[in-house]
Amino acid sequence: MLVKNAGIRAANAAMERYSNGDDAAFAELYDAIAPCLLRFLCRATRDAAAAEDLLQQTLLQMHRARGSFIPGAPVIPWAFAIAKRLTIDSARRRRIELRLFTHDLTDDAITHESTAAMANADEVLHARRLERQVQERLDTLPETQRTAFRLVQQEGVSLKTAAELLGTSVTAVKLRTHRAYVALRGVFREEVKPS
Amino acid sequence: MNTELKARVLAAVAGEPSPTRRAVNRRNTLLNMLAGVSGMVAFVIFALVVSDSQLLRLGGQVSPRQYVERSVWLVATTAGGALGVAATALWLALWRGRSMLGRSRGSLLCGTALIPIGLFVWKVVCSLAFGYPMMEWPERPGLRCLALSLLIAIGPLLVFLAVRRRAPVRPALNGASMGVAAGACAWVAVDLWCPVASLPHLLLGHVLPLCILAAMGAVLGDAFLSIRSRRR
Repeated sequence: MLVKNAGIRAANAAMERYSNGDDAAFAELYDAIAPCLLRFLCRATRDAAAAEDLLQQTLLQMHRARGSFIPGAPVIPWAFAIAKRLTIDSARRRRIELRLFTHDLTDDAITHESTAAMANADEVLHARRLERQVQERLDTLPETQRTAFRLVQQEGVSLKTAAELLGTSVTAVKLRTHRAYVALRGVFREEVKPS
Repeated sequence: MNTELKARVLAAVAGEPSPTRRAVNRRNTLLNMLAGVSGMVAFVIFALVVSDSQLLRLGGQVSPRQYVERSVWLVATTAGGALGVAATALWLALWRGRSMLGRSRGSLLCGTALIPIGLFVWKVVCSLAFGYPMMEWPERPGLRCLALSLLIAIGPLLVFLAVRRRAPVRPALNGASMGVAAGACAWVAVDLWCPVASLPHLLLGHVLPLCILAAMGAVLGDAFLSIRSRRR
């Protein structure tokens, strides 16, 4: 889990102090939430510079709204919601057809490692083809399933937090993640089918 | 983690002052008072201009030969019930519980759709229960009630939007529910003032403004509550 419970508690406590006027708490808030937000934004935009810019905008939005932060409210869903909104708006604004919230498996460290380990050129080609197929299948999924899959499986956000962020129930998030899983599993099944 | 990025973000934050919770609470209290005062002032001015300073009207001339009067109990019951529905609408639109994301889409949609229906049904049921005739008033199509509702509700709607400032999710729906809440508050005042209970009048003069306010709220919410990225 990438957003650990201790990190969530630290973020909530820092935001609470920050909204009460403790300016030094912002650095703690940054340390608690910036890494996972940046990963989320990098995957969403596939552009490191754009992700950093969006991270700065997200944190600035949180800074501007610190006075209206509700005591005891969780910070993580709010931060992710702002980041997601800014990403979508930024993509619209730039009129670039970014394929939002899809997983670029070439960025995945595990895939890099496994790819590097493959000595056989055929296997490398096969892995790349599989990556492309997974990518294509993810792109065809509804946005709700993609976002749920990304948050729960890739960002490590808890089901409860993801449900709150997506404005739905925990059961619905489970269902969406499961459907995304099933769809991706289909890619591998087709791959191993005897031709 | 990128320390240069952190330094850049901290510098940007330090360069832009933002109010603390105490300052925002103070400002919101003032704004909410302003919302109440603006609604009441609009109501009183309208009553002074349109109906000879009558804030509470129990009856009226339906036709040259017919005069209808409603009982004080009917007025108290309809206005009291409407007040309860308006309080529910305000709670739904403004209270976010312990979440910065606010209410779910389902709650907001249900509230926005059911509040006008609830107010309308309550008015009709009370009128029927008290034996108050829901007759046609040809000279009262409902345009004055429409204008009064919009006049009373527009101030509170703007204040509600100013108090919320930002809604990272569902800004249009949040705005619509605020519009309905402001309209429900206006409904209570209009209910005191308007003795007409015919269905076409209720639909045009009382229900339509709520729909207009919901639409206005949705447009304004999308424009002012949603989070926009800056140009790179």
